[in-house]
Amino acid sequence: MSTSTYTTPPAANPHPRLRPGRYGIAICITAVVVIALVISSLLNYVYLDTIPARTSLYGLLAVALISLGTYIGVRAFTRDRASRRKHLIRAGVLLGLGTLLWLLVLDIFVFTQAAGPGVAAICALACLPTTALGLLVVRRMDRNEKEPWRLVLVAAAWGAIVATSLVIWGETIWDQVAQRSLVPGPGLDASTAFSAGLLEEIAKGLAVALLFLVMRNDFDDVVDGIVYGAAVGLGFNFLESIAYMTNLYAIFSPDGIGWYAAGLQWYGRQVLGLFFGHATYTAFIGAGLGIARQLPNKRQKAFAIVSGFLIAIAGHFSWDAWVQFFPIDNSLFGLVEMHLRTLIMTGPFTAALIALLIFGIRYEAMGLVDQFKKEAATGSGAILPEDVPILASPWRRLKQRLRAFRRGGLRAYLEVARLQTAQLDLAMERWHRERKEIDMPLEAEDALRQRVIQLRHWVPAT
Amino acid sequence: MSSAPYDQVQVLYRTLLVFATVAVVILAVGLVEFVYFEPPGQATGVKAQIVGVYAYEPSTGATQGSDRSAFTRTEVFAAVVDWSGLPSDLNVDARWYDAFGSVVGRVGPSTPAKLGSSSIVPVITPQGLHHNLPGDYTFVVERLQSGVPVEVLARRIVLVER
Repeated sequence: MSTSTYTTPPAANPHPRLRPGRYGIAICITAVVVIALVISSLLNYVYLDTIPARTSLYGLLAVALISLGTYIGVRAFTRDRASRRKHLIRAGVLLGLGTLLWLLVLDIFVFTQAAGPGVAAICALACLPTTALGLLVVRRMDRNEKEPWRLVLVAAAWGAIVATSLVIWGETIWDQVAQRSLVPGPGLDASTAFSAGLLEEIAKGLAVALLFLVMRNDFDDVVDGIVYGAAVGLGFNFLESIAYMTNLYAIFSPDGIGWYAAGLQWYGRQVLGLFFGHATYTAFIGAGLGIARQLPNKRQKAFAIVSGFLIAIAGHFSWDAWVQFFPIDNSLFGLVEMHLRTLIMTGPFTAALIALLIFGIRYEAMGLVDQFKKEAATGSGAILPEDVPILASPWRRLKQRLRAFRRGGLRAYLEVARLQTAQLDLAMERWHRERKEIDMPLEAEDALRQRVIQLRHWVPAT
Repeated sequence: MSSAPYDQVQVLYRTLLVFATVAVVILAVGLVEFVYFEPPGQATGVKAQIVGVYAYEPSTGATQGSDRSAFTRTEVFAAVVDWSGLPSDLNVDARWYDAFGSVVGRVGPSTPAKLGSSSIVPVITPQGLHHNLPGDYTFVVERLQSGVPVEVLARRIVLVER
């Protein structure tokens, strides 16, 4: 394939011309989500007429705008340069309108009535740096091929806005029914925990599933799944933290301990529980989807996906249902207990996830090294034999970039980074093709190879 | 690093299945817990009567005004139960739960006859706080079996406004 037919160099992972069958599944999931949102919000509004019910109804438009904007924005990057800008502007306008509308709805019907917009803004500002740090760490976990920021942020935005909206409605109905029909106490607590585990994890998991279905070229394996899943969890945790902080502030401020209550909640969710709670649970869904991505038969794929969801639901459920069995003492020792409780209850899940992650990174690295060597052996010039040890090690790649920086400044650094990324993409493409888990034509691989060779010409010798 | 053997993804898959098995056990334990505290087939058909929820004066121990479904945080309130309609051999109690699920008022457990004089069940403000916490408060009259509440004989939900 000649590169001259493009108005811009082809993307590192070019997309096929024809839409694969999984897009149909993605469209069905999206349609189900939209219908569920509309029906549940209408039911809430008609039968409950509470503040969340009004929020759900008025928030529908915001959710629709954000969903459409996200879709157009993500797809814009697969278009050539001429039409990309137009689509990005459209996406930006839709996302902006949706966000403003959503904030308006939240401010008026939730935060303003609870604690006031000033408190809501302070809480949001307090949660922003911790969540941003969390996203940075999560993205860097993928040492071999980092996920694009746009997709990581899309995942976090879904977690924060769409998933939270979905669960407000589902949980409201579940809780209202349970509160009016069950015996209060541990049974009701278990029911509430089931509702949180089931509804919240499904709502968050849908985002990861949609990324898995639509953005297959950027969803390579278990590591990518964990990154996207954790990003969705961090987004969800961000908005939930704000909601809990403002709510507790409003509850306890008449007793003069509003900021203390909100601060404790911030520490518990944004520091102590940043990686332990939602991030861990949803990362398991991503892990299941990531493993399914590389499994050979459909039965195993289905089991892997269901397993990811089951682990996430169980982890979430166990925290919500049994946290009451680890009461926190109202003394200085309570601070120690608070940490121990998180470590004991969520620690095993996080440890299990880290084990999958470490294994996944090693497995991915081995696969890539194998492909570096094979590509170098072809003599195409995209990867040279002397490139292999450098590409195989994140540290050596960094050293190579820093050498370029010292010689030619930031521009040289970025050019080498682009070359390395393209070489990694080529190796990843080869890996998937060798494993027969790719539905793109061979021309896509040739286009990647040409891009690497083109970039190599632009990059000065390092 | 050496070349990647193909079936390493199977190791990941099997590990995930092991974790999923543990997850199923956790969810099963949760289900058992739910069934233990919410046992099926416990409906006796007996209904208790909650006369109403009223403002309450702690110094006199008496209720005031009319039956209400909403209170401010500074108001003290109590439910009034008519125990007389219940079979005398039942083991019952009455409790207030706040929006966080904590018990914030209780009489019993005992038989309806012995609880006859304890018809007023006030909400107690949590220790260290000056006002009641806002949200939905649930008042229930429960039947107990082996010390565990198994059936709600009457229920009333009131709102404590912010």
